[in-house]
Amino acid sequence: MSSKKDRMFDFKNVEELQTFITPLGKIMPAKRTGLSGREQRRLKTAVKMARQLALLSYGVQ
Amino acid sequence: MTNKIHTYQAVFLLDNEEVRKGFNQAKDWVQTCLEKHNVDVKVLRLWGERALAYPIGSRQRATYLLGWVEASGESVNEAKREMYLVGPAFRIMFLRADEIPAEEMEFGIEAIEDSAVEVPDEIEEFEMIEENVAEEASESKTEENTDEQAGEKAADSSDESEAVAAGEENKEN
Repeated sequence: MSSKKDRMFDFKNVEELQTFITPLGKIMPAKRTGLSGREQRRLKTAVKMARQLALLSYGVQ
Repeated sequence: MTNKIHTYQAVFLLDNEEVRKGFNQAKDWVQTCLEKHNVDVKVLRLWGERALAYPIGSRQRATYLLGWVEASGESVNEAKREMYLVGPAFRIMFLRADEIPAEEMEFGIEAIEDSAVEVPDEIEEFEMIEENVAEEASESKTEENTDEQAGEKAADSSDESEAVAAGEENKEN
């Protein structure tokens, strides 16, 4: 069992979220982020909420 | 249907045109609208004025208002419905939360002066957009130039190859 605490993502913390986003605006896959399945799902939700609030773009135009 | 009370985190994107008229006026409108629909507003504070990651309508910038409320799902939906129809908020998001963080509770319903909110003038905002457009245009021009240069080089090389082929034909004759 891993002793690491699960990582939480806040949709307001844009700088942190941007580290998990490719230059084309896509969310990086789990094998590149190194996050667990649960953390990757949390990241996905946070990014989608940030996109909805125009804090992050949906992609390059 | 149960009307169970939950805690929500709320984010409101306010139109800068409305905020220029008075930030407190816009904030009060949001607060009264929420309270009208039995939403208990615990925290309502300015989060900042920032550029949008993508244009929403004709807007390039917006003022973000952050709040924590306690309400039933039904009253949240009603408030949201009204705010999308009228008022200064053009995008709203409610998010279920377990509890209000202590550091947020300290803010309460923040009262700040209108002058404390720095919203760029309409002209400045327009200039910012123009600058972005000019930058994008210059970038695309440089890309076109490199493409043209590549095309010219290709054309030159094809001319040379044609000339070589013609020379070889003359030699044969």
